[in-house]
Amino acid sequence: MTQQQSEHLSSMMDGELLDNDQFNALAKDSRVADKWRSYHLIRDGLRKELPPTLHLDISARVAAAIEAEPAILAPQRKSKSLPLVGHVIPWIRQGGQFAVAASVAAAVILGVQQFNQPTPEQPFSSAPAWQLPGTQMGGLSPVSLEQTHVMPRADTLEQKRRINAYLADHQRQMRLKAEEQAAAQKQEAEDSTQPQQ
Amino acid sequence: MKSIRIITLVLWGWCGFLFAQPEGTPEDWLQRMASALRGLNYQISFVVLQPNGEFEPYLWRHALVDDIEMEHLSLQNGPGREIVRVDDLVSYFEPNVPAFSLRSDVINGPLPAELFRNPHALEHAYDYVMIGRSRISGRSAQQIRIVSKDKSRYGFNLWLDQESGLLLKLDMTDVQGEVLEQVQVTSLQVTAEPDEYFSRIEKSKLPELVEMSDTGPLPIRWQIGWLPEGMQILRRDIHRLPMTGQMVEYAMLSDGLVDVSVYLQAVDPGTSENGWLRYGANTLLSLQQGALEVTVVGKVPPQTASTIANSITLVKGND
Repeated sequence: MTQQQSEHLSSMMDGELLDNDQFNALAKDSRVADKWRSYHLIRDGLRKELPPTLHLDISARVAAAIEAEPAILAPQRKSKSLPLVGHVIPWIRQGGQFAVAASVAAAVILGVQQFNQPTPEQPFSSAPAWQLPGTQMGGLSPVSLEQTHVMPRADTLEQKRRINAYLADHQRQMRLKAEEQAAAQKQEAEDSTQPQQ
Repeated sequence: MKSIRIITLVLWGWCGFLFAQPEGTPEDWLQRMASALRGLNYQISFVVLQPNGEFEPYLWRHALVDDIEMEHLSLQNGPGREIVRVDDLVSYFEPNVPAFSLRSDVINGPLPAELFRNPHALEHAYDYVMIGRSRISGRSAQQIRIVSKDKSRYGFNLWLDQESGLLLKLDMTDVQGEVLEQVQVTSLQVTAEPDEYFSRIEKSKLPELVEMSDTGPLPIRWQIGWLPEGMQILRRDIHRLPMTGQMVEYAMLSDGLVDVSVYLQAVDPGTSENGWLRYGANTLLSLQQGALEVTVVGKVPPQTASTIANSITLVKGND
């Protein structure tokens, strides 16, 4: 089907009259006839004018497709290999996993790996080396989170309860802070631990 | 000819930049904010945004009635939470808990009260940097950046109203500049007269004051070897955790802007796991040292929480 034929077909669809030669050229071509049919079907569909039942004659094409189908020697195609279905199914599976993970903990559990990624501005790497006298009290010693891991999944309910207890207590203590601040500062003076400079 | 034009343009740009330079130092601005927050009658609606997409809308009213400060903070979604402050008495009205009052001159809510009341107190822990002007909530705003001196804590971006000096926006960002928590003011009204709401508060009808029991000085059995610059131990005690009822030894650390809780709990060796997680902007880190489990909770980066936890040592021969 040539560009010209498409243009003619298009103008005919729009109700423009063609001269006889052009019309005959179109009528002869069966591909144009197919296109004509499907264009009208599409148009009806777009205008929501489709009849309640469609009598699409696809039997001929099905027959032809079966004819062309090679004999199945390899194992049956899995749904995964189909482009669209293959995308959908892992998502559904993952969705299930997400749901499980979400029910395990309300808190967002972050992987340590995320923090072990080299970042240009690690808070402690900015400390000059001379601030590290080799002792543990040096404060700005490079901290590795390697010894700590993501909260283990096991025993999660109990763990969740404990985590919530700590978070709730932290909130409560922050409130009481203001109340006790004056008294605490007195006590702090007696305290042997002082913040390092 | 073209180059002259470019030079002129550049010069003009520079002039514009120079004139646009904000007046005053960040300290002046913060002081201005502090006195505005204390001395004006205002009503502010703001939203607290969490990194997981959750948000909480609040209404915040403040008034000076007969030279007495009155403040009201109300959570607008759900069953609500009302906090009322009259001078140095703060009353908390919350669902599922009987109402109570505390002796305090700040409301402990989603806003860093100490930064707002006494910004000078934070100067030993944080640096203030003037950033520039922008437009927030339809108002002209001055941006100030608050960075911890040793970069061991999250940074803050603060936008103040050019006109009144009141808060317009507050971002807490991690070292990579990612926003962890955000306070965004949606409406701000400064009025000459106190809001009518405050005339309805009867001081005698506020809930009973909870007196803190003074446990007296505790034997120091452990110490924290490292604290972020400007952070202090405010309080130590022994108390029971809510919900689980476990006894913990406790220390509250604060630099005025962020509070960190340190818990020590006796556990059987090997029963608990080391780990950390993030809840909202809070980091919770647990570390086992022999028969002790150290837990650090607070809005600090996990690295900082880890350093604090690792620096805890038992004081020998003091029992």
